Amino acid sequence: MTAAIGLPTGPPPKKFKLRAPKFALAVPAIVWYIFLFVIPVGLVIVNSFGSKLQGTPGKVDLSAPSLDRYREVVDGDFSDVLVQTMKTSLLGTLLCLLISLPIAYYLAFKTSSRAKVVVLALLMVPFFTNYLLRTLSWQIVLQPKGFVSNFLQDTHWFTFGQALRDTPIKILKTRTAVQIAIVYNYLPLMIFPLWVALDRVELHLREASKDLGAGRVATFVRVTLPLAMPGIVAGLVLVFVPLSGDYVTAELLGGVKGNMVGRAVADQYFRSQDAASGSAIAVSLIISILVILGVLAAVFWCVRRILAVNRRVTVVSI
Amino acid sequence: MTAVAPRPPTALTRLRGRLARGVLPAWAAIVIVFLFTPIIFLVAMSFNDFKTIFNWTKFSTHWWGEMLDNTTMVDAVQTSIEVAIISTIIAVILGTLSGIALARKPGRWTVGFVAIVLLILVTPEIVDGAGQLSWFVKLGGVFREGITPIVLVHTVFSSAVVTLIVRARVSGIDARLEEAAADLFAPPTKAFFQITLPLVMPAVLSGAMLSFTLSLDNVVATSFVSPAGNTTFPNYVFGLSGGVIRPEVAAMSTVFIGITLASIAIVALVLRRQGQSGTEIATTFTGN
Repeated sequence: MTAAIGLPTGPPPKKFKLRAPKFALAVPAIVWYIFLFVIPVGLVIVNSFGSKLQGTPGKVDLSAPSLDRYREVVDGDFSDVLVQTMKTSLLGTLLCLLISLPIAYYLAFKTSSRAKVVVLALLMVPFFTNYLLRTLSWQIVLQPKGFVSNFLQDTHWFTFGQALRDTPIKILKTRTAVQIAIVYNYLPLMIFPLWVALDRVELHLREASKDLGAGRVATFVRVTLPLAMPGIVAGLVLVFVPLSGDYVTAELLGGVKGNMVGRAVADQYFRSQDAASGSAIAVSLIISILVILGVLAAVFWCVRRILAVNRRVTVVSI
Repeated sequence: MTAVAPRPPTALTRLRGRLARGVLPAWAAIVIVFLFTPIIFLVAMSFNDFKTIFNWTKFSTHWWGEMLDNTTMVDAVQTSIEVAIISTIIAVILGTLSGIALARKPGRWTVGFVAIVLLILVTPEIVDGAGQLSWFVKLGGVFREGITPIVLVHTVFSSAVVTLIVRARVSGIDARLEEAAADLFAPPTKAFFQITLPLVMPAVLSGAMLSFTLSLDNVVATSFVSPAGNTTFPNYVFGLSGGVIRPEVAAMSTVFIGITLASIAIVALVLRRQGQSGTEIATTFTGN
């Protein structure tokens, strides 16, 4: 723009335009992420091809890069741990989804706005309570002489004079303990995204569905669920991924039987001081996660295609 | 909300409606009880008389008195709070700037940047932590001393979260407001501080609260990079696991949980004052 016409004289706005690239404001963040995320994750990948430099605390010898560490992962006990971890994670994510869905549905469609705020506030307490402390609390609850165990042994009134068990229950240091605590730990992370996803499905589309004769269930399955799907998938991924890498829960509650990959990685770093093997396990973990997500995405896509064939009404979201 | 046109009620639909009204709230109540149970046990055990949190004997408050005598634990809490404050400041500055840039200056760079942000959010923390440890060992010096490495790793995830929250907020603000400021001869810095920043403030505030609580919550990455003698409260407790845990730890945990909840309550109140609904606040707070 050239000089203003008849406006009070003043410095033209152009003068203040900085000749900076578009991403100038993001430069500090870019530098930060490269320094603290890209390089470290790159190092994990690079280190996984090396070997432990004997006699050093955790240094990696990269002079002869090889796939030996991966071979050890595949041949050794780690592959069992990896499979076990993926089972625990998939089951955990599925349980989180099944437990969360009714709550999210209730919050999105069946509450008064006052009740909704109360329930959300209540759900936020565990969501923001320290994750390590919550896991530690399960140690208290699941103790052999703890609450659950005693309850099952003492409830004579509940089972017609018979105790449900005679002996203390052994849940702690088993896979069951890890599974329970993992579902517990990641449940709030699932409820909120599901609720938001359902909440964003517009009321008039659901009403239209009901006006056209669909019942509750049909409306939910054929209108609400497909529209909320992107949010639900995001919730699933955001629970499944950190859950698979969890190491605190296994460390606190798993004992020997309830091992998980995350803990195996930590063991390599802290106990064996072997960053190369630790890195190889970490990379294997990421690869497993990606493979599972890929397979699920493919299955999901196929199901949608099959369903789309006999769907007579297509809902177009704008 | 407007109701769906009612159908003539039959006994069956009435029963179904009652079930729907009864079953869903009951399920919500069960899940909430499940979510609260362990926390309540932890808090209750701080009032245990015996020397461990795993066997209840009788009620006593003496551990609450002895809590402050455990200097290692008090130091750890202090470290936690220092780390949380510093990392929050850094995360908020980085995240706010890049969030504004994402919303206002989109271009080819955004694709790569958003990809990194999303990768940060989905990479298992154990991988970050392991890599950061190797990297800090290579760098040495200040990266292996004091609270610096802990602060640095805490900023990564939280600044990514702040970026997304701020970007969402800025996208919802009319860009013409800022253009008007420029037309009225406000220099860019003045336009930023007087127009843009006040408008994005709710997002910045929520982001700051999330960064603060994420930092207090962090265990995994911290356990990798903590230098000897410097640790946060959760990692102090983590280090005790497997041994005897005295009720003073439960007492301090209660205080710690209280600090976290107080910080979210304060921010929620401030946002409420600014006219946001409870639902909006919950949506932002949970990172959606």
